[in-house]
Amino acid sequence: MTTTLLAGQHYVLAEFITGEALLDATVKMRQRGFADVDTHSPYPLHGGDEALGLPRSKVPRIALAGAMIGLFGGLGMMVYLNGINWALNVAGRPAISLPAFIPITFETTILVSALSIFFGLMAMMGLPQPYHPVFDLESFRSACNDGFWLSVNAGETHEPTTVVKELESLGAKSVSVVQEQVD
Amino acid sequence: MATEHGTATAAALGNLEQAPLMIGKQDNTSLTQSLYQHVWAKPDKGWLAAFAIALAGAGALLLAITVTVARGIGMWGNNVPVGWAFDITNFVWWIGIGHAGTLISAILFLFQQKWRTAINRFAEAMTIFAVMCAGLFPLLHTGRPWFAYFMFPYPADTLMWPQFKSPLIWDVFAVSTYFTVSLLFWFLGLIPDLAGLRDGSKSKTARVIYGLLALGWRGSGRHWHNYKVAYLLLAGLSTPLVVSVHTIVSFDFAVSVLPGWHTTIFPPYFVAGAVFSGFAMVVTWMVPARHFLGLKHVITLRHLEAMNKIILATGLLVSYGYMMEHFIAWYSGNPFEWFVFKNRATGPYAPVYMLMLFCNVVTPNIFWFKKARTSIPIMFIASIMVNIGMWCERFVIIVTSLHRDFLPASWDLFRPTWVDWTLYIGTIGLFSTLFLLFLKFLPAVAVTELKEMNDETLHEEAHALGHDGPRVAPLAGA
Repeated sequence: MTTTLLAGQHYVLAEFITGEALLDATVKMRQRGFADVDTHSPYPLHGGDEALGLPRSKVPRIALAGAMIGLFGGLGMMVYLNGINWALNVAGRPAISLPAFIPITFETTILVSALSIFFGLMAMMGLPQPYHPVFDLESFRSACNDGFWLSVNAGETHEPTTVVKELESLGAKSVSVVQEQVD
Repeated sequence: MATEHGTATAAALGNLEQAPLMIGKQDNTSLTQSLYQHVWAKPDKGWLAAFAIALAGAGALLLAITVTVARGIGMWGNNVPVGWAFDITNFVWWIGIGHAGTLISAILFLFQQKWRTAINRFAEAMTIFAVMCAGLFPLLHTGRPWFAYFMFPYPADTLMWPQFKSPLIWDVFAVSTYFTVSLLFWFLGLIPDLAGLRDGSKSKTARVIYGLLALGWRGSGRHWHNYKVAYLLLAGLSTPLVVSVHTIVSFDFAVSVLPGWHTTIFPPYFVAGAVFSGFAMVVTWMVPARHFLGLKHVITLRHLEAMNKIILATGLLVSYGYMMEHFIAWYSGNPFEWFVFKNRATGPYAPVYMLMLFCNVVTPNIFWFKKARTSIPIMFIASIMVNIGMWCERFVIIVTSLHRDFLPASWDLFRPTWVDWTLYIGTIGLFSTLFLLFLKFLPAVAVTELKEMNDETLHEEAHALGHDGPRVAPLAGA
């Protein structure tokens, strides 16, 4: 840890009445040059991805990679263990008997794919994350129930006061500033 | 989840529109309040009484497991030739019950059936607890459950590996994959609701506990972006998985060469039976739960009616399965095969067979009538009968096929002992205990998804009326 990190990022949080107003404000803030914005809503908003300008999700690729590992890993495991390492003769079936290996190959494909989706998603979201400065604001807790919030990381490029003014001009119900606690 | 055509369809169908999926005008605040309310409320006497009974059942299970482990499976009624009896019957029954959960949460999700949203969380929890109960039986049946890890491929000093050509090992992989994937799917769906609970909590303890479980979820748009895709993909993976699991369970029987088991119809017939019993179990629990948890506005009669329709459809599939099974037994011209089926209907276990036919073939037909489909007492009783019927089906398939084998000298009857009964009833106790805890401490419906659905509905209504209303209408007058 270097001392320069001790400053702590500033986050400006603004609450909006509706999801649409939130998305509207998100687009406008991004147009005005604030790149590090995020929406917070109790459920995914229609058009939220476009408003934030997010690229296509990488989750499908992770799922496919996991499925491939599960498919070849599972099949390879059985071929090696029952066919090569210890060729097992059961009722005269061939040692490497593909039809008999299909059910487990199918299951390992699903299993590894599902595990990669879940843990890949967690890694991409950066969860579990025990602390995030947005939670310093008690009223922000409506974001997971019935509130629509916009957070702007004011960082070092902008004075929070300008961001606050911008957000107020966009019709936010309330605007607050929180600072990351670093110790 | 959004239906682009929803608006057009709603307008075109006009007065053919079904009853609403949500009663009364709801908004995010009212849904937050009414759907989490049962978590914050103190447990009432009904819950405590039910929990005490369930816990007693779970205690009985512990006793039966202790007796089984300490003195061996000789404490059960199993014998030669009936090597599989209550244990595997219960295993198949419980796994089947779990299937409704995945069907509702995954398959109906992919088909964009909006009514599944209110009941999916509930059914998924049922899946997980049912699979836990199911897993106990083969584990105990191994006789030395502490060696269960022998079934996984690990480099043992015996230099031996599992026999991957055996359906029993397929089962190990199928059931453990099923449990893992169902748990991930359930937990992923729960995260936003756990965050809702964390942020609505009044006490420090609740905030810490739900906070830990919510993993720091903050409803971020950047998170939702990937979350939606991950949820959809997990649903996509669960769909073939659920079909594969009961297929593989049926392979335990179908891959053998025993008359009564060696049948190609088993995989589809088992899957249909699983969905049939699973939906019945959902109805059995849903009817009291929606009443006691105050969820009647989101789990409406329309939901229950839809489930009863599925019970009817799968009941007919099961009936068709019975018909074909008997026809093929006769048509095959194989005297052993035909003997097994005649023996089922006229042998010592004929009463169980008749009960099975009555519960599974006759009972669901009551749901041809709308009155029955929408009557709470009728559906509750019918759902319990279906559960009994499906248990009888598994018993009939397993025990009657075994008890009179090729050699009449080795014929024997299976008589369940008190340990058999206690284990079975005990798992019902364990299931109920876990389920009641779930109903008390976690949101019983998928709150996030319901809010999203409500938002979409409000939006569509505004569209249908010909003006662009706000996405979340301020419902001051409602």
